[in-house]
Amino acid sequence: MNDIVLLVTRSLRNSLRVPAALIPNVAISVFFLFVFNSGLSSVANLPGFKGSYLAFIIPVSIVSASVGGAGNAGQLLIRDIESGYFTKLLLTRSSRLALVWGPMIAGAALLVAQVIIILLLGLALGLHSASGVGGMFVVLFYAFLWGMAFAGYAVAVSLKTRNAAAAEAATFAFFPLIFLSTTFVPKEYIGATWLKWAATANPTTYIYDAMRSLLIDGWQVRPLLIGAGVVLAFATLTGILALRQARRATQLG
Amino acid sequence: MGTGMGMDMGKDAGMGRGTEMGLDRSIWARGLTRTFADMTAVDGVDLTIDSGRIFGFLGPNGSGKTTMVRMLTTILKPSAGSARVAGFDVSEQQGEVRERVGVALQEVGLDGLMTAREMLVLQARLFRADREQARATAERLLATVGLDNVDPKKRVGQFSGGMRRRLDLALALVNDPLVLFLDEPTTGLDPVSRSAIWDEVRRLNREKGMTIFLTTQYLEEADKLADEVAIIDRGRIVAQGAPEALKRGIGNEVVKFTFASPDAAARAGDVLSRQAPDRRLDGPSLLCYFTTAAGRLPELIRTLDEAGLALEGLTVSEPTLDDVFLQATGHRLSPKQAAGNGANGAAAEVGDAAGVAGAGDSADAAAEASGRRTSKRGRRR
Repeated sequence: MNDIVLLVTRSLRNSLRVPAALIPNVAISVFFLFVFNSGLSSVANLPGFKGSYLAFIIPVSIVSASVGGAGNAGQLLIRDIESGYFTKLLLTRSSRLALVWGPMIAGAALLVAQVIIILLLGLALGLHSASGVGGMFVVLFYAFLWGMAFAGYAVAVSLKTRNAAAAEAATFAFFPLIFLSTTFVPKEYIGATWLKWAATANPTTYIYDAMRSLLIDGWQVRPLLIGAGVVLAFATLTGILALRQARRATQLG
Repeated sequence: MGTGMGMDMGKDAGMGRGTEMGLDRSIWARGLTRTFADMTAVDGVDLTIDSGRIFGFLGPNGSGKTTMVRMLTTILKPSAGSARVAGFDVSEQQGEVRERVGVALQEVGLDGLMTAREMLVLQARLFRADREQARATAERLLATVGLDNVDPKKRVGQFSGGMRRRLDLALALVNDPLVLFLDEPTTGLDPVSRSAIWDEVRRLNREKGMTIFLTTQYLEEADKLADEVAIIDRGRIVAQGAPEALKRGIGNEVVKFTFASPDAAARAGDVLSRQAPDRRLDGPSLLCYFTTAAGRLPELIRTLDEAGLALEGLTVSEPTLDDVFLQATGHRLSPKQAAGNGANGAAAEVGDAAGVAGAGDSADAAAEASGRRTSKRGRRR
């Protein structure tokens, strides 16, 4: 546990020392929020649409932030591998798990910081959370779990490719997941059958549902449980992949 | 930490040898092998290195030195064979091995965004030191490697090559290791920095009793630092022993006849086969090894003259580790000498030992490029 704290602290400190790498990602999320909210807010006028469009679109801004925020975990690891510092860490008594979780948790923490900015901006734009401040903290918790899941994917890809450009390209391959979902309208408003199927199969849909239920409907057990189950399963899967790649990459038993 | 015990690693060393006589700082390997796809980087290496020794692992680029270090330090799993470092199995007791070894790899592994102190403190804490111990260790090691006067806020990314190498050495010492692995520690360094590293290696060995496993492609480095040397070529150890014993083993004196072409040198080899049974071809040169050469020279020159072979150059010198390498493998280790044999052989040969030392001083890309040439030359043969 101590090793994880040490390595997370180091990863966060390093990330903050290169603010230029963090700012564009925050800017993109904020840009998405403004553009989608102002350009598509008339969707809220459709019959049967519940709540404000701002509350509906904020989870999209949060999930899109994960590509850069948590994806940063992969980049941190690639930097260590390329510089040879990862080998130096391998030669300590630190567990392999801590070496992998360090950048993953740091990536997820960076995502949470971004989400706080997004939520504060949302509040400034008139966001009202149906589940109150407590619900917004739960949104942050979901963002953290989603960040861990995505960071696991980013770390696994980074360890597999050991190449910064390839890892970055692979993380951006995640973008279709964000948009093949109930991104802009609820599922019942999606016309194309294939997109409805894609949205149903897409884990991102259930993260959106959980966050939207907190912001629009208040405390709803079903979407929260499904969302938690999906994000935990996804995080476990990517975490296992990351650890397996770490073992393979270091050729240790 | 105690002093080196000079413990003997006997045949049973690989079978749970205890440490009752003191701290075990030995290295032991049997049949150690590592393959990558269809290439065997290290091929059945046997090693026994007593506690408290400086061991030089000498070989050209791509000969398997780094792979050997990576296996002995648990970074890489052996494909076959077994090894014990400081009394622990490198495959089965990786944690115990890592706790007892320090490693400075050829590629300096540093984080350019951190400061030297931050790196040392983190490394110490990952070896289970508490915050205060880690800070004290960092300060002590910064002073040891002469980085204590560097601006504490200066990030490692702004360090010079020599400073980075010294910090890397400090990181390898964080856990107060029993066995220190240095993989080509002076490659790319200027002579002053190289000398400083040599002094530090000697000090660590003398004062701490550390066993030091040092890989190098510089003959001078192995000759000056190591108590014992193993020469590796294409994954196999071709010679091993104390440098002086290895050199004596091929004769006390080397007579080097240089001709206009390799063909002429080959003919000379045939002509002198009876008078110089111990000889090697080296490009346009013929090297003959003798216990004493002085009395034989007139006769040898006369024989060559009668055979119509015109000499371009002649030197008599003490054997070097490069001669040992040539004798064992049929090709040169020292890139400069190998290259020099073709173009300006006679000039390069004056003062053989000095010439070899000079080859060791060629740094960075030049050494790398020359090293590759030597390897290719070896493969062609």
